[in-house]
Amino acid sequence: MNRRDFIKNTAATTASVVTVANGVTLTTYASANDKPVTNEKRWGMLIDTNKLTEADIDGMVVACKEEHGWGNEPNSNEAQKGNWIRKVKVQDKATGRISALPLMCQHCEEPPCVDVCPTNASMKREDGIVLVDRHRCIGCRYCMMACPYDARSFVHETLTDQKEDMPRGKGCVESCTMCVHRVDKGEKPACLTSISSDAIVFGDLYDPSSEINKKLKEVQSRQIRADLNLNTGVRYSGF
Amino acid sequence: MLSMAFAHGDKGHKNIGTEAQKYVDQNKVYHKEGLSMTRKMHPNWMKHKRDMTLRQGVRTEEHSFKGCVNCHATKKDANSYHPINTNEQFCSECHKETGVTMDCFSCHRSTPGKSAYK
Amino acid sequence: MSQVRYLQIDGRSTGYLALIAGLGVLIVAALLSVYYMEHNGHWVTGMSNRIVWGTPHVFAIFLIVAASGALNVASISSVFQKKLYKPLSRLSGLTALALLAGGLMILVLDLGRPDRLIVAMTEYNFRSIFAWNIILYNGFFAIVAVYLWMMFERRMNKFSSNAGIAAFAWRLILTTGTGSIFGFLVARQAYDAVIMAPMFIIMSFSFGLAMFLLILMASYKWTERDLGDVVVDRLRKLLGVFVSAVLYFVIVYHLGNLYLAENSGVESFMLMNGGIYTQLFWIGQIIIGSFAPLFLIYHPSTKNNRSMLGLASVLVIVGGMVQLYVLIIGGQAYPIEMFPGMTVLEGYGQIASYTPSLPELLLGVGGFGVALIAIAFLVKFLPFLPESLADKVADPHTKA
Repeated sequence: MNRRDFIKNTAATTASVVTVANGVTLTTYASANDKPVTNEKRWGMLIDTNKLTEADIDGMVVACKEEHGWGNEPNSNEAQKGNWIRKVKVQDKATGRISALPLMCQHCEEPPCVDVCPTNASMKREDGIVLVDRHRCIGCRYCMMACPYDARSFVHETLTDQKEDMPRGKGCVESCTMCVHRVDKGEKPACLTSISSDAIVFGDLYDPSSEINKKLKEVQSRQIRADLNLNTGVRYSGF
Repeated sequence: MLSMAFAHGDKGHKNIGTEAQKYVDQNKVYHKEGLSMTRKMHPNWMKHKRDMTLRQGVRTEEHSFKGCVNCHATKKDANSYHPINTNEQFCSECHKETGVTMDCFSCHRSTPGKSAYK
Repeated sequence: MSQVRYLQIDGRSTGYLALIAGLGVLIVAALLSVYYMEHNGHWVTGMSNRIVWGTPHVFAIFLIVAASGALNVASISSVFQKKLYKPLSRLSGLTALALLAGGLMILVLDLGRPDRLIVAMTEYNFRSIFAWNIILYNGFFAIVAVYLWMMFERRMNKFSSNAGIAAFAWRLILTTGTGSIFGFLVARQAYDAVIMAPMFIIMSFSFGLAMFLLILMASYKWTERDLGDVVVDRLRKLLGVFVSAVLYFVIVYHLGNLYLAENSGVESFMLMNGGIYTQLFWIGQIIIGSFAPLFLIYHPSTKNNRSMLGLASVLVIVGGMVQLYVLIIGGQAYPIEMFPGMTVLEGYGQIASYTPSLPELLLGVGGFGVALIAIAFLVKFLPFLPESLADKVADPHTKA
């Protein structure tokens, strides 16, 4: 992405603000899809575990499975099946308080998985979404070793009947894509759409007028494993 | 790439796909680069376009692989299609004869999905 | 000084042919396993999303680490100018290359998409230590090949010292790189330690010399050539030093981890309540892999017995494989500490289970097969082995 393209893109796009049903404002750009994405936006999520019930989180997992088609590989055992998002229940050792949270790829700004990938298959898009370029993945699984959140899965068997928006196949590594195919159309990730409360906010972290940006300035939130300084795109509040 | 040198395609396709056939029947041309260029260059174009889509987020219909499949798959009956990489279908007609393996459909869906049924 | 004469082995006895055939069977079995794993997918193995590197990687990393160490003997003669080791240099270089080839073969064939090897060679991510290792391994082949050529080609003999120094430096970088594959992983408690790099170097000295010793003694015994005590004794003492050094590094590594409260979990797991991993650590790595060989090497009743030295080498190798098993698989089995100060009730955090599967084992053993068959073939076609390593030949100043 060089300066010339950046200026051309910024000048050429027009913005229209679309209000989605439950009060979240998304900025969509007309004809944005024919230009490469830029780093003027960074997609992120804020998850408030206080407002999420366990049933909500289970629903998120199901929604992700249905959107992308993972999780039902017939020959793989439980530890080998795809697992892009999971429900984790934790209890504070000191206070005894129990929280449940959804855990998926954190879309770090400094992703360890991208650092270690020998072929640049594990990559971070300009707008912050971390993806596996499965055209290049050789299936070495080093990124799976490196991920601090154990967010990645390996496809252990031949797959058929893939979802048309989510090609996936044997021998490559995969993980949560933050529903990049939906985000690029101006929609929200499938897991969010499955819950009816405003427990999860999704949007552009860099845009001062976005709801997520404003909320992150108001409420206390944290990254999981903040000590690693990865500057994750997914933030949590409530536990 | 050897396949570039031999632009196999003097024989026409028997089966260019249900939607593609409709285009041809209406005398419309979708691939403006021309048939022989498309046959010769499609591996290179596809490799470039897949990087543009995946790595850079460009998602026009021209860049869309499922767009290719939606157009070039042949209907079996009202509600289903033949998988595009089986023997008599669009891709294999040339690929089988030239002996060039296609890796695409180990990951990509080989029949049109819900976007084709609008 | 007496000239050492190098001679190809005869290679026509039934024993030799049986050896080649046996190794060939192992290799064929490995290739069939690879076909089975690649065709069906990794669900047929014991590996999973929690244990992503399994038995093949244990074998592969052992071979790669041993390969770098096997070159030590040649380095001692070229770099440190110890003439006693000079006749062994050719075999040392050959062993290094063969072991590396075996190890790399396992790694490549276990990839999820081995058909994309060309991609791995052309799309480089220079921030990845893995990618650096690919360059280092290929460079090692080239450098050692040149080094060997300089040893063989009489007119180039005077340059072999320089090549030896280059090879020595390269392999130090290479083994540091191999250790860093683990040492750079901040995510996992078992690996996030800079000591991994030097520890791997010391492990390479020990495993490499053990492999070399066994190959040397076997080559001379089975071809009925003379292998004097002077050479064997030196190598024995060297092995003792290396095994002790590995033990030292292991102690430092664990002490370091124990001291850090944040790593106490994985330490308790490995040292006390990790089930099979704890047993493997204490019995396999410490007793069988370190104390038993040291006893055999130094105790007056066994130290002059060549079979005991062979046994010690075998135990070092077994201990080394166990060490890598505990490190690689145990390190993955222990969950990542994502929520410090919290207990994970469900969803993550269990000790992952792993059972080696037959295809993985066959692939790993096949790697050894490839390495050993390469050595067996090449000592027949090229003069790698001195005709005699009797005491008078190896060391003219010996009192024997």
